[in-house]
Amino acid sequence: MRDVAIVGAGQTPYGDHPEAGIKELFASAFGAMADSVDRGFDATALDAAYVGSLGVGGSQLGITGASLTSHLGLTGLPVQRVENACASGGFALLDAVHAVGSGASDAVLAAGVEKMLDLSGDRSKYWLGVSGDTEYERLAGMTFAGVYAIAARRYLHETDAEREHLSRVAVKNHENGAVNPKAQFQREVSLERATGAPEIAAPLNLYDACPTTDGAACALVVPADEAREYTDDPVYVTGFGGGSDHLALHDRETITSLSAVREAAEAAYDRADKTPEDVDFAEVHDCFTIAELLAYEDLGFADRGEGWRLIAEGRTRRDGDLPVNTSGGLKAKGHPLGATGIGQVVEVFDQLRGDAGDRQVDGDVALSHNVGGSGGAATVFIYEVDA
Amino acid sequence: MGAHISIPMYERTVGQRLAFEGERCTDCGTVAFPPKGACPDCRNDEFETVDLSGTGTVYSHTVLSPGGAPPEFAGQARAEGRYVAAIVELDEGPRITAQLTDIDPETVEIGMPVSGRIRRIYEEEGVVRYGFKFGPADD
Ligand SMILES: [Zn+2]
Repeated sequence: MRDVAIVGAGQTPYGDHPEAGIKELFASAFGAMADSVDRGFDATALDAAYVGSLGVGGSQLGITGASLTSHLGLTGLPVQRVENACASGGFALLDAVHAVGSGASDAVLAAGVEKMLDLSGDRSKYWLGVSGDTEYERLAGMTFAGVYAIAARRYLHETDAEREHLSRVAVKNHENGAVNPKAQFQREVSLERATGAPEIAAPLNLYDACPTTDGAACALVVPADEAREYTDDPVYVTGFGGGSDHLALHDRETITSLSAVREAAEAAYDRADKTPEDVDFAEVHDCFTIAELLAYEDLGFADRGEGWRLIAEGRTRRDGDLPVNTSGGLKAKGHPLGATGIGQVVEVFDQLRGDAGDRQVDGDVALSHNVGGSGGAATVFIYEVDA
Repeated sequence: MGAHISIPMYERTVGQRLAFEGERCTDCGTVAFPPKGACPDCRNDEFETVDLSGTGTVYSHTVLSPGGAPPEFAGQARAEGRYVAAIVELDEGPRITAQLTDIDPETVEIGMPVSGRIRRIYEEEGVVRYGFKFGPADD
């Protein structure tokens, strides 16, 4: 494998875009990515594209990927839609890294897009429920929030964590979203408001859940030894890994740790020759607050059953020793399913290059963690810049 | 909009859904439910059918608020309000997700003994689908 770098990354603002369909969202993110390439680049030189997307209009289209690239006049290159539910973007990046790393491609677009807010309520509830096990979980009347709620209940049973620690994840991520001009919710929430929100699936309430979001994100992946043709400040992808698991929680040995994440993290750390202690900051997949606590443990930031202590002690806030979700995370920045894994790259890219404005943190080793469904699929990446 | 379990697909799983039919690995004896394509322990692909007791304990659960119910459960949610979905650990070992019924949601606890019973689950394509729910074991 040859080494790989990211030399451009950009996204749309996340939120409600009544004026834009998936093509317009994609064009906007592509433009933001192109603008971020310091010395510019020739889009016609792209030799492959991978586009994460779960669905369009609450169902699936054929050849979604090329419908987007061709809209920008990019034809001829091989383009694939990548689908692994909420981890579609992460797997699009994994494919791009493999393509460049193998030597097969020299300039690859990793992208993601999702248009969620133009779905009717029923269509949305239907479509959000299809990324888990449909044969039993879904036929128990289970919702996506319900699946994570069952994991949260078990976590509160197995550990010394308290219900309030879940809400503290939401409070922290809203603090960060408040200073991210691309975030869907640019406002703080108090602990009182987060703990007192209406219940959606006990023990989880509305403020434990991420929103539905329109958005798109793009990143440009090139060989590391060609990166300086594009910029003096490339972000190297030194670690990468993917994993999978049973879709239904009931088929797993434990429901308070995601083995797909542990597999992906182990591969990423091994390849980067890093340990969890080396990570300066991370973007993790907090679709529900419980998911961020599980991520702390599965990524090795805390021992099993101890992840809640990081939030209790404020260590993952922007001023802590391991900032997590400086972007606001899925909770406050938003969660346009297929775009989320690439949107995480945008935050890491900006942070590592010192372009994160009011939410800038220190560090030259970062990690991103993207989970599909309730852990049926996951990716982990480690990024570094020249110190 | 239904959950897209077609009638032929549902029909193939009637043994599981109405009679707790699981499978036992002929090599290592591990019991799988719902039936799998390979033994979860040793990946052997030969099984014998085994009738499970349908009794177990609550491994974890959630109480779903009616407003968020999937469309095919919206009628139930309107009629009954909050409802409980749980992972039940069966006495033979496997875990399964199902609704709890005949119980006050506030009294459900991890470890509580439950037993299966056949109930109407939902309706799709004009056909009522029956399957199991769990209720208090001493019922
Ligand atoms: Zn076996």
